Amino acid sequence: MTVLRINRAGAASTVQDSGRIGTLQLGLPPAGAMDHPALVSGQHLLGHTQDEAAIEMAYANTEVTPDSSCLIAVTGAPVSLWVDGAPACDTEVLKIGAGQRVSIKARSHGVYSYLHVSGGIATPAIFDSRSTSVREGIGGLAGTYLRDGDQLPIGFANSDVITSNVSLPLPESTPTLMLRFVPGFQYELLTEQAMSSLLESEFKVTSRANRMGVALSGDPVNTGVTSLLSEATCYGAIQLPGDGNPIVLLNDRQTVGGYPKPGAVIRSDCRRLAQARPGQRVRFAPCTPQEADRIAWLEQHYLETRLR
Amino acid sequence: MFEIGPAGECGIRLIFSGEPHEALTSKLLSIQHSARQCFGTELIDSVVGYTTLTLFFEPHNIERDRAIAWLQESADADTDEAFLAQLAARPVVVLPVWYHPSVAPDLEWLAEENALSIDTVIDLHSDPTYFAYATGFAPGFCYLGTTSPKLAVPRLATPRSEVPAGSVALADQQTAVYPGPSPGGWRLIGSCPLRLFNLKAAPPALLTIGDSVRFEPVSESEFRALGGSG
Repeated sequence: MTVLRINRAGAASTVQDSGRIGTLQLGLPPAGAMDHPALVSGQHLLGHTQDEAAIEMAYANTEVTPDSSCLIAVTGAPVSLWVDGAPACDTEVLKIGAGQRVSIKARSHGVYSYLHVSGGIATPAIFDSRSTSVREGIGGLAGTYLRDGDQLPIGFANSDVITSNVSLPLPESTPTLMLRFVPGFQYELLTEQAMSSLLESEFKVTSRANRMGVALSGDPVNTGVTSLLSEATCYGAIQLPGDGNPIVLLNDRQTVGGYPKPGAVIRSDCRRLAQARPGQRVRFAPCTPQEADRIAWLEQHYLETRLR
Repeated sequence: MFEIGPAGECGIRLIFSGEPHEALTSKLLSIQHSARQCFGTELIDSVVGYTTLTLFFEPHNIERDRAIAWLQESADADTDEAFLAQLAARPVVVLPVWYHPSVAPDLEWLAEENALSIDTVIDLHSDPTYFAYATGFAPGFCYLGTTSPKLAVPRLATPRSEVPAGSVALADQQTAVYPGPSPGGWRLIGSCPLRLFNLKAAPPALLTIGDSVRFEPVSESEFRALGGSG
């Protein structure tokens, strides 16, 4: 079996696939790739027919060496790539020889990049997923971020590889990112003033942004509600803690919570938010569930036609 | 009285008004159980909270209006008798606890604060059979209620950065056992030597919503024989 040696792990690199389903009541978050379309496009590039895991790198600064030849692809936030010190194309499938060094460095925009290896990262699956959930200490090699010197097992490769460039470009960053959300939960309890802070003011992505969620700062949204009976959170839920600064909950969120939530950001915008760097301006805009369905359908259609 | 509304683009949430109570939790569990049977694998996940049930699905697999209508009908109906009988037949989970200041930094403080002897605190805590209302906070964490009003205590203003696994804790009129080392703001009055969450066990969590739970005082030697440390 091929082994991928992690010479340099980088700040927050983890093994991720599409994540877990059916574990919320146990208190286990779904985890999974923060930029799911980027994960899927890499799986497609390497001809993976199953949900093979990749290495998710936040602000990539990673170097790896396989012990036998393999194919790799990098997707998600754009990176600079070197093989044994020579610059290489970061949007194509590359053949890497045994013992070669692949260096990956983040460029100027986006957060999460994915290193895919033909055959997929073959660490053991827990609840049918290899995704790492650091807080719960499960998935990946030891339930932790990857560390320098780790050796990751690689699965058996599929020979049916797409060689043309079908990478999925990260959407251009925009001065103000619109976060469309489906109102719900405690939306009706918001005072007029809180509602206008939420809907009419601009927020900024702070440095407290990670796999659990993205904390925003701006005009505080004071709900006056201090704590509620614990109930399910969800992907994209806008949580309003006492200080009034919204936190958008993402893949590694706590599965239940007692803070007021006026709704949940749609998936498509969650992905853009996850890829936004601190300082990015954002605004909230309500949208109906039907509109959210239409956007999800269009994105899926775009992904499928790009990857055809 | 209940309401149904969206929980994001892939979820529907049912919430009952009023305070949590055992019969409501049983009803929510019963609806969750039939949702799993009715929608099968198209139901991605579901979560029972104190007064809520949230169902998650792909709207292109389960039509949203159909889910809402189903939930409406289920919430209106009486709780399924067969399910209630199953729930009532679950054995009481007994959790051994060593109540001792060396593993319970708040035991003496709580006794003094509430003008009780330590023995009375132990009796008041280990006497009732509690009901498991909700899970969450961390895998294996279960909110148990309702404790004696004589034991009611506020949470710590600043949570401890690390509470040891097995810590038996109180807050307001709830009690719980911390499954793993984690930050925590509840008051610690004892230690349970059993593992509350173990991925290799089936099911992985020792406690689940709807369980009846009792605490049993044990001596230091029994605590250690059961695997306790601290």
